[in-house]
Amino acid sequence: MTELTGAHEPMAEPNPSTRRRRVRGVPIAFVLPAVLLLLAITVYPLLFTLRLTVVSLELTVSPKATFVGLQNFIDILFHDARFWNAMKNTAYLVVVGVGLQVILGTILALCLNQMGRARTLLVSLLLIPVMIAPVIAGFQFRMIFHDQYGPLNYIIQTLSAGRVHGYAWTADPKVALTAIMITDVWQWTPFMVLIILAGLQSVPVELYEAAEVDGASGWHMYWRITLPLLLPIIIIGILVRFMDTFKLFDIVYQLTGGGPGSTTETIAYYTYLRGFKFFSLGYTAAMAFIQLIIITIVAQIFLGYQKRQRQGVAP
Amino acid sequence: MRRRSPVQKIIAAAILAVALFFFLFPVFWMVMTSFKTNDEFFSSPPVFIPKSFALTNYINAMPFPPNGRGGLQGLRDSLIISLATMAISVSVGSLAAYSFARYRTGGENLSFWVLSTRMFPPVAVALPLFLIFKQINLLDKHMSLIIANTIFNLPFVIWLMKGFFEDLPVELEEAALIDGCTPWGVFFKIALPLVTPGLVATALFSFIFAWNEFMFALLLTRSDVRTLTIIVPSLVGGHEILWGQVAAVGTIAIIPGVALALLLQRYLVRGLTLGAVKG
Repeated sequence: MTELTGAHEPMAEPNPSTRRRRVRGVPIAFVLPAVLLLLAITVYPLLFTLRLTVVSLELTVSPKATFVGLQNFIDILFHDARFWNAMKNTAYLVVVGVGLQVILGTILALCLNQMGRARTLLVSLLLIPVMIAPVIAGFQFRMIFHDQYGPLNYIIQTLSAGRVHGYAWTADPKVALTAIMITDVWQWTPFMVLIILAGLQSVPVELYEAAEVDGASGWHMYWRITLPLLLPIIIIGILVRFMDTFKLFDIVYQLTGGGPGSTTETIAYYTYLRGFKFFSLGYTAAMAFIQLIIITIVAQIFLGYQKRQRQGVAP
Repeated sequence: MRRRSPVQKIIAAAILAVALFFFLFPVFWMVMTSFKTNDEFFSSPPVFIPKSFALTNYINAMPFPPNGRGGLQGLRDSLIISLATMAISVSVGSLAAYSFARYRTGGENLSFWVLSTRMFPPVAVALPLFLIFKQINLLDKHMSLIIANTIFNLPFVIWLMKGFFEDLPVELEEAALIDGCTPWGVFFKIALPLVTPGLVATALFSFIFAWNEFMFALLLTRSDVRTLTIIVPSLVGGHEILWGQVAAVGTIAIIPGVALALLLQRYLVRGLTLGAVKG
């Protein structure tokens, strides 16, 4: 384990025994602080959470925990409509929101690929939303969505010549979740653009040349060459965004506060409410654990995919 | 897509123009709002460009409460937390990254385990972290957020730096080892200087992640520590929202992010995918 290695090929060893002696222990010392810190946030909280999942601990009622076995999980999965509502909202944001991000991202990346020197500047400008704090993005859209004085309703009214009045975007249960989705799409579509563009630029030109010689049309080349080669990158993008959406909290907090009622609660937001507003610690821990399981499954897919890519199996 | 007909190019440019409007308008709107008077905000039709670009909102928003909105406190706390997070996660992280890249310490499994901790849902960790910090009296202190942010930034720093170290040719370090340099010496005198651009990019990413963080700041602080991301939502609520002043604090809060989007473009692909895609 102590040989010095390059990215792919182990290097030649001119004098292994002396170097081994000098090097022994050092790589481990290099890694140790990081690994210990990470253990502190994974193993300990995991055990802590796991222990809490089997108790009922309602701090608003009493500071004493009583053992309830799997009751928390049963309550969540079979008796908690609010949990399933939060799951449904999260699923909507994943399917429709991330779906839109992929479609818009692909279109914009293809457009950017047509641009010449202006591309660098355009990409930089497009990326501004990604680097802004989500909670500030939520604030920006709170102004945009303002029902009386916001520019969005004004634009809608102007374009429809006053026939459509616009919406109370953050207060109307019919559109509030859409408002959150629009904000998320605003913030993360540029991320998709960026990685898909990187993928487009790595497609070897020879493939297109060969297809052209064979008489393939533009659309044909797109469906048969470009999209299949982009697929691995799009999958990475979807997996990353899937995991992020499960954590979506800041925008909900700032834009709707989960309301009106609980119509826009995401799973992360509902967990926060249960734990830090209602202080049902056991219940929250069980809910956190369910999310952990879902995220772990997706993370394993992501990691497996990346591992195979590093080994050169996937394209 | 090699044949670029002019029509195709024009359509692409038109789509991009619409997209650019969509992605930049909310930022433009907040910056403009930060210069608006209250009357200009509460006007219908909305005011797109304020009459005067006076700094009134900024001057009123910056002082500590009760005189102002605490913008300066937010700036101070966000800076302390982000700079400390950046310093610790980059120094601890690059060491580990070097070890993973050059010695394959712990094999693939250890480095992938490190990556997997990045995907932990923060809300699952928040509760235990909150109770621990409460016990050791770290709530509402800079240190609690520095620790929380550092731990969440480490996997990112390690994977990004690992990629940069792997890109270096190994021969230089090899030669130095043979010449009797210690592994520490090789790391500090040869490898680290060679990855400086990557190191700077990683450090800036780590800074901005801590700067933009919200959930831990919300849960682990009360009044002594208030980051910019805490101050902005805390001012939106209640009866009388001073939109102009909140927008002023918000505008200050996005300056580092906007600057980095423009500066870091070369590294953004790698940074945002944890090295899964090398741009």
